[in-house]
Amino acid sequence: MPAIITTIIILGVTGVVGAVLLYFVSRRFRVDEDPRVESIAALMPGANCGGCGLKGCRDFACACVAAGRLDGLYCPVGGDAVMKTIAGILGTDAAASEQRIAVVRCAGSCSARPRMYIYQGPRSCAVEAAAGAGTTGCAYGCLGCGDCTDVCQFGAIVIDPATGLPAVDPARCTACGKCVGACPRGLIELRGRGRRDRRVWVACSSRARGAVARKACSAACIGCGKCARTCPFGAITVTDNLARIDASLCRACGKCIGVCPTGAVKATFTMPKPVVNENV
Amino acid sequence: MKTFKLGGIHPAPSKITAGMPIEPLPLPRRAVLPLAQHIGAPAAPCVSVGDHVGRGQLIATAAGAVSAPLHASISGTVKAIGEVDGPAGYPMAAIIIEASEADHEADTVARDRRLAAEPQVVAADRTPDGIRDRVASAGIVGMGGATFPTVVKMGGKTPPEVLIINACECEPYLTCDDALCREYAPQIIAGVGLMLTACRGRRAVIALEDNKPEAAAALRAALGAESRIEVVQLKTKYPQGGEKQLVEAVTGRRIPSGCLPADVGAAVQNVATAYAVYAAVECGMPLIERVVTVTGSVAGRGNFLVALGTPLAELLRGLPDDCEVVLGGPMMGRAAINLDAPVTKGTSGVLVMPPAPAPEVEPCVRCGSCVDACPMGLEPYLLSTYGRMRMWDEAAAARVADCIECGCCSYSCISSRPLLDYIRVAKSALRRRK
Repeated sequence: MPAIITTIIILGVTGVVGAVLLYFVSRRFRVDEDPRVESIAALMPGANCGGCGLKGCRDFACACVAAGRLDGLYCPVGGDAVMKTIAGILGTDAAASEQRIAVVRCAGSCSARPRMYIYQGPRSCAVEAAAGAGTTGCAYGCLGCGDCTDVCQFGAIVIDPATGLPAVDPARCTACGKCVGACPRGLIELRGRGRRDRRVWVACSSRARGAVARKACSAACIGCGKCARTCPFGAITVTDNLARIDASLCRACGKCIGVCPTGAVKATFTMPKPVVNENV
Repeated sequence: MKTFKLGGIHPAPSKITAGMPIEPLPLPRRAVLPLAQHIGAPAAPCVSVGDHVGRGQLIATAAGAVSAPLHASISGTVKAIGEVDGPAGYPMAAIIIEASEADHEADTVARDRRLAAEPQVVAADRTPDGIRDRVASAGIVGMGGATFPTVVKMGGKTPPEVLIINACECEPYLTCDDALCREYAPQIIAGVGLMLTACRGRRAVIALEDNKPEAAAALRAALGAESRIEVVQLKTKYPQGGEKQLVEAVTGRRIPSGCLPADVGAAVQNVATAYAVYAAVECGMPLIERVVTVTGSVAGRGNFLVALGTPLAELLRGLPDDCEVVLGGPMMGRAAINLDAPVTKGTSGVLVMPPAPAPEVEPCVRCGSCVDACPMGLEPYLLSTYGRMRMWDEAAAARVADCIECGCCSYSCISSRPLLDYIRVAKSALRRRK
């Protein structure tokens, strides 16, 4: 018999035996996947950002199907629209969640906060924070190395060269929360976008005493409490020399903006009456 | 001559203050005493603002099992109990004492008399429990820089086979332990004897590197009839003073990952701690002053006996306008930006460096120098990348927790990469996650 025939027979038989074996093995070890997982995964934004608290979009889809409900599951990138569709697939209701956005609680720009020391280490906020309190006199403020920028997958937060502070692009921010975890100073907060994108927040995180904070930064919250006394809704509290605005109580009336002596209260809108303050 | 096997480097010793006598620095008028000068729970203040305290008086008590009490380093009035800026600019809780003219004079006279004359020996309780009580109440912590409360290390159930006294001082520039050994050898030997009794050990080894022959000779001369203690010289290599490296160098036993010296039958204490134990037990002196090396490009270099709480600025006479100040040695020390911050129990040296341009960071060429240099057998280039890329799980799997932060990797990197900086990021992220 010519060698070629032998080869064909041996390979042919091996192939048939292998196919039969694989058929039974695949029957035996088949994994049944809910087809809904596939359809939900196809709906997901596919950013795999981890903003939902799970490892990626497919993980989120599996979690939705496994739970059968959407309690505690929310994709901040896809938002309410995606969640509604997912709820339709699962045959349940999607709780509408408030749209949120990252807000930087520091206004210590280059002009407001004089640089006092030189930092020569690697350009990383985490490293700079471990080495010391930063190049300015403020031990709470933004370090400006851009760890938040590095982790943002949506290009929604960039360091503004004019101020040296991170600026959030409201059109791109999905409130995935990665920048919140990346900031070693804990300056970034996810806040509700507010009705008609009107929101007010205290752009300072300094818990230093008023005089100390003011010396280091002209835009610091000095904990004077004027805003808290002015607020008609009781949304502002001052603890540890720092004012905080409770987003759930704030109606974005803007009264606090005008009374702040340092301009630490920031808003996404301008007040009709111009505020006299040379530091803003 | 013995040393540890894995990794290590040979930086220029630069011990420019070696051989300089210990000089008492004038007592400060204002002492800032942080409540957390040790590892563990911060001490709890037991004085109030306005109280008059005497030098050596207890001002804060230990809060918990791993903690240490704090004593006034000068006589005076408690001005404030609150936050002050630490050396790195971060706020820390502290007790601030201000001395009046009379207080200052009386303190200075008392200190000069004590330094000039043979110290007053008090009737000491030299039983193991008595020594431990005294060490605990004197607020003694590990003075090599780790500041772990000494009494906790002494209280193990099984006595160590060997008590190793760390006098390696492997950091370049620092000479405070060397100076202490040269001048106070008999006191150190007595202190080691007390430590041995306290932990019920039979044998102690005082380990020095071979670049300190005078200190070794002084200690050997002071041994006398003390047969339990041995002075051993080790081959100079950084980081010999690291606890794990030192145990290996002296006993030949390697401490496994995640274990302590006690697991291989050893205990390690710093030589300055031995002196503090002597002073506490035999002279009734709480830990209120320590020897600090002031070195580098500054006029007033030397080894100084400094009261705790003295502002760093008072140590740095003739400080140039443009310079970097480092607390500790050049390898493991941390930059200090606030010179009003005080000397604490763990301050071994203040190093002044001339301004230098930041090195150009080049890409990693996978040369493996950092792997060869790592005394813990880690892969620093990999750990550093994990730290930079925020891959904490991978870093943990690559044993990032074993890193002793000695800085050999950054030192040996031919591309000047800040390896240790990013490894620290990974370590602290994992610590926070726990």
